Amino acid sequence: MAGEQYLDTGWFGMLVTLLLAVFILVNIRRAKGGKDLFIRRIAGLNAIDEAIGRATEMGRPVLMVPGLSDTVNAIAVQAINIFAYVSRIAARFANPILICCYNAAVYTLAQEVIRDVYQQEGLADRYDQDSVRFVSDRQFAFAAGVSGLILREQTAATFFMGEFYAESLIFAETANSIGSIQVASSTEATQTPFFIAACDYVLIGDEFYAASAYLTRQPVLVGSLIGQDWGKMMIMVLLTLGTIVNSFTLTREVTSEKVDGVFNTIPARKAKLDDSPFNQLIKPSKPKIIVERPIDPTKAAPAAGGGN
Amino acid sequence: MLAQVEVPTFWSEPYNSPALWTKLVVALLIGLAVLVGLMYAPVRARRPIVAVVTFFSGLYWVMLYAWPIPINRQDNQLPNGPVEAVGFWLKDSNSVIVSFTQILTALLFGLGIYSLLRIHLQRIVKTQRDWGFSVVLLACMSLMVFFGYADWNSRLGERGAMLDNPANWGFVNFGRDFLFEGLLQQMDAAMFSVIAFYILSAAYRAFRVRSVEATILLGTALIVILSLMGAVSGLWDDTIRSAANGNTFILNFQLTTIADWIRNTFQTSSLRGISFGVGIGLLAMGLRIWLSLERTGGSA
Repeated sequence: MAGEQYLDTGWFGMLVTLLLAVFILVNIRRAKGGKDLFIRRIAGLNAIDEAIGRATEMGRPVLMVPGLSDTVNAIAVQAINIFAYVSRIAARFANPILICCYNAAVYTLAQEVIRDVYQQEGLADRYDQDSVRFVSDRQFAFAAGVSGLILREQTAATFFMGEFYAESLIFAETANSIGSIQVASSTEATQTPFFIAACDYVLIGDEFYAASAYLTRQPVLVGSLIGQDWGKMMIMVLLTLGTIVNSFTLTREVTSEKVDGVFNTIPARKAKLDDSPFNQLIKPSKPKIIVERPIDPTKAAPAAGGGN
Repeated sequence: MLAQVEVPTFWSEPYNSPALWTKLVVALLIGLAVLVGLMYAPVRARRPIVAVVTFFSGLYWVMLYAWPIPINRQDNQLPNGPVEAVGFWLKDSNSVIVSFTQILTALLFGLGIYSLLRIHLQRIVKTQRDWGFSVVLLACMSLMVFFGYADWNSRLGERGAMLDNPANWGFVNFGRDFLFEGLLQQMDAAMFSVIAFYILSAAYRAFRVRSVEATILLGTALIVILSLMGAVSGLWDDTIRSAANGNTFILNFQLTTIADWIRNTFQTSSLRGISFGVGIGLLAMGLRIWLSLERTGGSA
């Protein structure tokens, strides 16, 4: 059957994805079994306690923004996981918090998680349900709303974690203008330089996903993190192999090429990257298959043609 | 025009048909039963229920992505075997399942509005600090809801086409246009423009010569910025070309060549490296959520 979507990536791509999943699950099992796994120091995450401590000393609130995710996705969940840790520490110090949400679904999730955190700490009376608030689901209205809150509340520590776009610099510069200590991370590579330029500490790339493992040391999260590292090592090996194979291929001449899964003889020419066996593993050329299907007699044939 | 007749499937019953109503009522009853079951189930039993629902919901999206879905399928064709049958089912169900998400989002949006109203009404009633801003916010929100709804309502039916011409507009159409196009869009644009000034102030701080790293950053940024300024790069490159006199090594010192090298060698590879890490992190996170291994808000 002529499939579409993921099967078209070929067996090699699927094997790599499967191996990544296996690495993660195997390491979660190892960590659950009590194996002591090492995580390197991440400066941005060490700064979280310092930032909350500073806010407590100054008696000013801690502001958190879980990004501009359009729905509750893995990025928003991870941001809220980090904020759960921040809120837990803030709750212990009786420090006020503010979580500004761009999306109503994220707002609902954040409210539940933060309420749970206060209850787990036995400090339910300290939880203010207005500390988690929905601001707006329009990008720049949200930016204006959050900037206004930063200025009015004079937040001492601000955390921007998740999906950020053009508004990232508005947040970071506004917080910087009032001397707020900032820890930020964006999953959007284009926004990371803005955060680096304007914030005190930045989590780059997958450090964002490492945060909850680093902070809570839960075996599941630590194991998952080690599994990710195994995955990265596998990709590094594949990159090295690919570079060697592709470089070697480019020095040769070819007399055949694969089109629609079939090798055709061609006049000798200098090899291109598409001729590399490594590239063909990742972007396989598959034979075209015409599928005949039985017709359902109870259903009408589709209308022929189209348009006027 | 040849009309495309939609062939009814399990997921697309005709509008207002008894079959559609039956399915709606059954779905509602199942939903209520699950909700009541969750409310009355012991706390320990809730976690497995949530885990099972999460797993099957996630499985649907994984299958939609990984299962072979037939292409060039005609509405009156039958599947070739069970693999295609599942593919047909996935394709037919997709639009309906996506609408579940939209319904849920709309419901949660109501909760968001409730949060806004509660915070700001409370502030106005208690005349707390900055209560004036809350009045402005609620007034703007009410006005936008009123004019937005009235404008949408006035465009229903045959009148809609007439209202494409502003000459036929009434009070509500002008009101909506003023609030949305005249105010909101302009304020959005103003906020976006402010970023230009913020870039300047952030760049000033980032590019100060404080350390070796900051100096390297300053140098590379300067080269890339100058290479994009036609007058500077043209002059520099012309000078290098005439000085090179055919020497290919010296040609490497053209501003555009150095900038291209920086972009292709450092920038692209760094971004790809970050993307790999983020992608694997996302996969791990997705896997943990799907298999309910993640405990949101875990203890410190």
